Amino acid sequence: MLNIEKKHIIDNNKLSGEQYFASILQEAYSNGLLCDSDMENIQLQCIQLLAYKCERYSGGESSSIRVEAAESIMKSNLYTIGLYLKSLPDVDLAVNEIKKASVSEMYQKGRELINVRLHSAKYIYNLVQKNKLTTPNYSYNSTINEGIESFFKAYDPDYEAHETPASIDYQLCNTVTNLIGIEFILKYLENLFLENEFCRDFAAEDIHHLLYGYDKGYKDLLINIFEQVLTAAVGCSLANRSVVELDISAEEIQHLHYELSEYDDCSLYLKVHEAAVKILEELNVDSLSLQRYIERSLPRIISNITNAIKNNTLNKTFVSPVNPGLEPRIRFVSGTKMHDEDYRKLIDELIICRHSSDKLALIKEKVKSFGDLEDLLFDAQLSEEETASVFDILGDVEIAALIRRHPFKTDMQAVDLSEGEMAVRLYLKNYIDRLPKGKQEEIFEKADMLID
Amino acid sequence: MGISSSLIEKQAIAEIEKCNEFTAEFGLALSRSDAAELVETRNIALKGNGRIEFGSGAIQKIIREFCDSPYISMHNYAETIHELTEMFYYYKNETLDLMSDDDLIKFMKSSFDGKCQGSLELLSGRELANMARNLRYGYPPDYSEDSMPDEEDEDVEY
Repeated sequence: MLNIEKKHIIDNNKLSGEQYFASILQEAYSNGLLCDSDMENIQLQCIQLLAYKCERYSGGESSSIRVEAAESIMKSNLYTIGLYLKSLPDVDLAVNEIKKASVSEMYQKGRELINVRLHSAKYIYNLVQKNKLTTPNYSYNSTINEGIESFFKAYDPDYEAHETPASIDYQLCNTVTNLIGIEFILKYLENLFLENEFCRDFAAEDIHHLLYGYDKGYKDLLINIFEQVLTAAVGCSLANRSVVELDISAEEIQHLHYELSEYDDCSLYLKVHEAAVKILEELNVDSLSLQRYIERSLPRIISNITNAIKNNTLNKTFVSPVNPGLEPRIRFVSGTKMHDEDYRKLIDELIICRHSSDKLALIKEKVKSFGDLEDLLFDAQLSEEETASVFDILGDVEIAALIRRHPFKTDMQAVDLSEGEMAVRLYLKNYIDRLPKGKQEEIFEKADMLID
Repeated sequence: MGISSSLIEKQAIAEIEKCNEFTAEFGLALSRSDAAELVETRNIALKGNGRIEFGSGAIQKIIREFCDSPYISMHNYAETIHELTEMFYYYKNETLDLMSDDDLIKFMKSSFDGKCQGSLELLSGRELANMARNLRYGYPPDYSEDSMPDEEDEDVEY
């Protein structure tokens, strides 16, 4: 059935979500709904409201305030009025309200609405905390745990209602745009809740394997988990696999590439929609709001798939899960360290020793554990060439272990390190840089496989 | 908004003129043009210091506080109020708005009549500057390093 919409003089699309009051005034004035005297009267009332709020702001102790503070209060007032006008059923009613009601009345109603929205946001935040996913992704966890909580502590609905004092790093699949202040947080939390709700239909472990397959270091990436999960689910559905496990093989992805590259944009759109319907059925998604949210997310996923097919990179869009537990691992055991007294003697001998070849022979003879070798590199005051010849006698795994334990740091990052340690790290970096590319890669691979 | 701002100015001028009623007993009075110039000075000071003011402003309060100063007479009255007005808004910013209008004006008055003995240069360059620095560093307004015991004295005690 077609949607029947009432025709308004003011075009809703021309109104700004962030500065609703100002944009509605502008539109109403340019469409002749408000005359010059109406506008002047509204401006005067806005100034009066600002004067009243500024007095409250300074607690009656100061007759003047900084221009920036006054501007912020003015923005806050206009935002609050805009929030009230937005809550009215349509734009015509909003314009009527502007004509009839005083600015301070509209402000008061908006202020009450902010309290209601704030209450709702707190409620949804509780729900989000309850349906939060178990994931090591840092931006996801920090946004939910600290970022949003800071909003409720710092939000000032009286003087900075338009501000969003939250540290939100985690980006949603459907980014919240054209909203600020409490409206932004409310919408963000609603979307996050729906994303969590969908992801909770999958095992946390499966999501972990999927994201690990996407990137081993996904815990530090600014990715959207829901988008990855939904894309994988669409991939499984297109490949006629069970959606729940999010498991799709490289061959199936290759096959999908051949199949999907045959479709034009419209057919691909229909195909992905069909896949989404199958997903909803398989997961028994009843919630209408979640269904709509998934619907809204599909264009983004379809465009990712279209681009991937064009660039022959579908294996980056649809990802095969990887279980990190099944990857080959190296456990490095460093051996027993020598007695402290013997170690001290060795260091004294090495410092006295004049020839590099003698030092190397001494190290080869006396040092039997990796721990001792590490200590020795810091204590024996070896030159860069001597250190490099010590590295030469080590195997790839030992070098990899050294890289893991002593990665190179710039002067700025290495403020806590001793001079000896900084020198060894620099020598190690120079040594690695001099190795052939293939050898370097082998060593770095081994370093990745090492278990801490 | 041009009409309303000129109305606000007229109102401010009238309020300053009204102060003549109680400054008369100290032999001080401002003409209408003096009052208009004061309002102009206030506007320039507000703009220069990035501030905005509603209502009659601080000039009235400054006049009320300073009218009984022994260092103000009819020949330097208007000029002094001009300087004090500029100083006032400048130090509202410098004190990070930590001091209320009344407290700042009282501090200005007691320093002007006391330590500065009527010198506006000392008031602005020394007393108010020290006070603002103290407030910014979290000390009481009248804190002075001279009042702290010397290191030598401390050594003697130990």
